[in-house]
Amino acid sequence: MRKLLLASALVFSSFSFANEAIIIEEPFARAVPPGQPNSAAFMTLKNESSDIVRIISATSNVSEVTELHTHTEVDGVMQMRQIDAIEIPADGMTELKPGGLHVMLIGLTQNLAEGDTVEVTLNFEDGSDRLLEVPVKHVMPMMQHQHKH
Amino acid sequence: MKAIRYLIGLSFVLVVAVLIYIQLQPKPAEERILGGNIGGDFTLNSIDGPVSLSDFRGQAVVLYIGYTYCPDICPMALAVLGQALRNMPEEQSQQIQGIFVSVDPERDTLEHLASYSAFFSPQIIGVTGDKAAIDQVVQQYGAFYRRVEMRDSAMEYAIDHSSRLYLIDREGNLAGMVSHSTAPDQLMRHLEELLN
Repeated sequence: MRKLLLASALVFSSFSFANEAIIIEEPFARAVPPGQPNSAAFMTLKNESSDIVRIISATSNVSEVTELHTHTEVDGVMQMRQIDAIEIPADGMTELKPGGLHVMLIGLTQNLAEGDTVEVTLNFEDGSDRLLEVPVKHVMPMMQHQHKH
Repeated sequence: MKAIRYLIGLSFVLVVAVLIYIQLQPKPAEERILGGNIGGDFTLNSIDGPVSLSDFRGQAVVLYIGYTYCPDICPMALAVLGQALRNMPEEQSQQIQGIFVSVDPERDTLEHLASYSAFFSPQIIGVTGDKAAIDQVVQQYGAFYRRVEMRDSAMEYAIDHSSRLYLIDREGNLAGMVSHSTAPDQLMRHLEELLN
């Protein structure tokens, strides 16, 4: 039994590519008013491997440009900045959520209404990628994980 | 002995200098509100013409200062306000006016501000103005904004800004402020207090 556990632990910890090591939960993009030129996508990223995984870029089928951004609060002032990579620690997780890290969709080519689905591709540092189907939702604070509307 | 006197004198001067420095620092809005010297009337433009805070005397007003390119803080604040208004009985929520002030008139046209604000609630109007008018409101309310160039980003620039929902009573006086991360029900209770 112990051998089996050990064997399965080995199997699960030796991913050849970053895109296999990452579990993505609850991705969503923010519904925006018609004519709004940009939006953002959020998700929880879990790293099942024992190596740091880095997302170095992203693309989407609904935006001309897709960037990695973060939001920080410094002395009560909200600051948005572009970043080079989003890191997911080994055996850890990183949350992309309103008010923090996000995938910024710039130059929307269509309106994003609740119920739509958009494609977002995450590109990892090792050259692998992951295509996500991301539902569009009205984002309400305190309700993000309850799916209430 | 002389040296000790000299040291005492020097520390006295230092203490005074520090006290003066502290006194000269701009106080955060939370402190200034207690002194009653924050808030006040202003006039900015909406798609339907000039809008003044005093237009809404008799109603409670919730004011928010931000910009529409803001990826999630401004929409979060406006979503909280919209939800709070929807959660209230209609006869109460009708006595509340939301005002979204954009500090990015370069990108936020009056037309876009109108559709953007209405998306969160038909009771929120979007207003902006020239830099002088915006700066005055920002200063009056102890807010802050700063344009930041983003060289490698398609955004070109972002705007760092303070983020507060200002609660203004029926007489036009600032009664309090809450964060964009306030729960809609909590904001609703604040609004009910404001009406009573």
